[in-house]
Amino acid sequence: MAAESAINFEALESQAGTLVETFKIAGYEQVAPSILQPADIFLDQIGEALRSRTYVFTDLTGEELCLRPDLTVPVSRLYLERHPKADREARYCYNGPAFRFQPGGRSRVRPREFRQAGIESFGIEDRDAADVEMVLLATAAVQQAGLRDFTLRFGDIGLFFSLVESLEIPERWRRKLGHYFWRPTAFHGLLRRLSRGERPEAESPIAGFARTLDLGDRARAEEQVERYLGENDLPLMGNRSLSEITASLLDFAADLEAPPLAKEIATVIDYYLAVSGSPEECVGRIAMIARGAGLDLDASLDRLIRRFDRLKENGLDLSGATFASDFGRNLEYYSGLVFQIEMPSLGDGSQIAGGGRYDGLLKALGAPRDLPAIGCAIHTERLLAAVEASA
Amino acid sequence: MSETVLTVAVPSKGRLKEQADALFEKAGLGLHKTGHERGYTGAFDAFDDVEVAFLSASEIVHHLRAGRVHLGITGEDLVRETIPDVDASVSFEAPLGFGRADVVVAVPDCWIDVSGMADLEDVAAQFARTHGRRLRVATKYFNLTRRFFAKHNVSGYRIVGSVGATEGTPAAGTAELIVDITTTGTTLRANHLKLLDDGLILSSQAHLLGAKDAAWSPAAEARRDEIVSKLKAAL
Repeated sequence: MAAESAINFEALESQAGTLVETFKIAGYEQVAPSILQPADIFLDQIGEALRSRTYVFTDLTGEELCLRPDLTVPVSRLYLERHPKADREARYCYNGPAFRFQPGGRSRVRPREFRQAGIESFGIEDRDAADVEMVLLATAAVQQAGLRDFTLRFGDIGLFFSLVESLEIPERWRRKLGHYFWRPTAFHGLLRRLSRGERPEAESPIAGFARTLDLGDRARAEEQVERYLGENDLPLMGNRSLSEITASLLDFAADLEAPPLAKEIATVIDYYLAVSGSPEECVGRIAMIARGAGLDLDASLDRLIRRFDRLKENGLDLSGATFASDFGRNLEYYSGLVFQIEMPSLGDGSQIAGGGRYDGLLKALGAPRDLPAIGCAIHTERLLAAVEASA
Repeated sequence: MSETVLTVAVPSKGRLKEQADALFEKAGLGLHKTGHERGYTGAFDAFDDVEVAFLSASEIVHHLRAGRVHLGITGEDLVRETIPDVDASVSFEAPLGFGRADVVVAVPDCWIDVSGMADLEDVAAQFARTHGRRLRVATKYFNLTRRFFAKHNVSGYRIVGSVGATEGTPAAGTAELIVDITTTGTTLRANHLKLLDDGLILSSQAHLLGAKDAAWSPAAEARRDEIVSKLKAAL
């Protein structure tokens, strides 16, 4: 078998030239971050699911490195190297190799060594404008490369967070619901458990002690926990502080007392997450759900409408586009708009490009503050296959 | 010695070797070394067409997967950890009753707010908020850990590789929790760790395994059946 990178070498090179040229004309500076990345900082962000598909190794000094499985984190790190205070606007584009183990075996649309072309923008405070710019440029680039008849899929995690924020529920439940968004099975399990008021943990050996905690006085509760640990010879270790363990026990104790999550609230969440269809239909349905439940989602919904309007004003055809409120692209660093460019007729490998807003990632990578950021990556082997299939 | 029709991989050192030797003895197969005393090949008194390869327990797994040996004795934990699609490449011929060890999830016993896998995900979320990173799980069982955590919807973690003294990593601060083998739980307790209620990943023991990709002639199959039945009779 020939080296993987040699397959379609010339066609990919010429396609990459078109993509990068389109990005550069739009004002995106071409960058080439390291292919070898420190495993540590990288994997802390992407987690085990992607790690199991990442080539990780140790060099002769014992340093753990990986072959980048994606370019968003490397480009973000490059931005931070240039602007450690995260106080500048920057627009970058790239085209280069990324590597992923393919558990189901390799194929033309699932190579283990592939090339990603993409764009990332940092620090643009007008988020709506940056969102619109990103979708327009990504779609323009694949069109330049010859793609026709693709479909667009949208989601907005920010809207989900606004919904959860507007609900009258304890903060600890809000955090949980937000945390489980990307795992539908666990999410619906949690929702069911909260609304039925099930308390399997009420039988746990610690429930007795938890009930004695002073719910209203954090400092006193901390003393109680400290005494309990001392009396039971349970020295603190594992990098969690007394205050973290206490906070978690207080949540647990509050759950033991709390009334179940109101049925209407569970229903609103269920209805919301079931919304999918054309962007207009979805906006209408979400507005109806919010109005019915007396929730104020106007600001977030207006933003969503405005962005779709601006995409259309700029000539993007949204007639075949879909929106789904539970669509989160399976990457927990996304925080707002997410989108994919797809070619459903291709079956496996139909997802040609994808992107989204990730305002929290830069801080997690060491920036002093959250920074508005959005990007999009194109799977160039799939783009080429799609262009050839539609020709 | 006539031409070899079947190769059996047997552990070359440690407790697993001693217990395998004892079982072969009891089964009346008469395992002995051939060639040099320090060499790594052997044979059975009972057969003149079966070769024995003495290998490390983890190498035996690789040989089984590749079909370079027909049969092998090793721990189920190593097999399930190393081979992604176990049933496609090996057959479990007989559990051997020794080499018992549980692969478990253990957390610091001061985590009194954590008793099961579901609590772990809540702690992972809290930990990420407070420390800006994921929980670290020290283990040598990367794949068993990933599959088990995924099954329990725990995702806010990352694995740090650990090949020895894994139980010491939470106290040393290089990991928050561990996935490791335990027999009695004494070592875990001594290191101030506790098992999670639903944290048993695998109850492992040594197995006689067959390699599906090995060259199985009728003669090889006949020998396999004889060896399996003699070993089973001796259990």
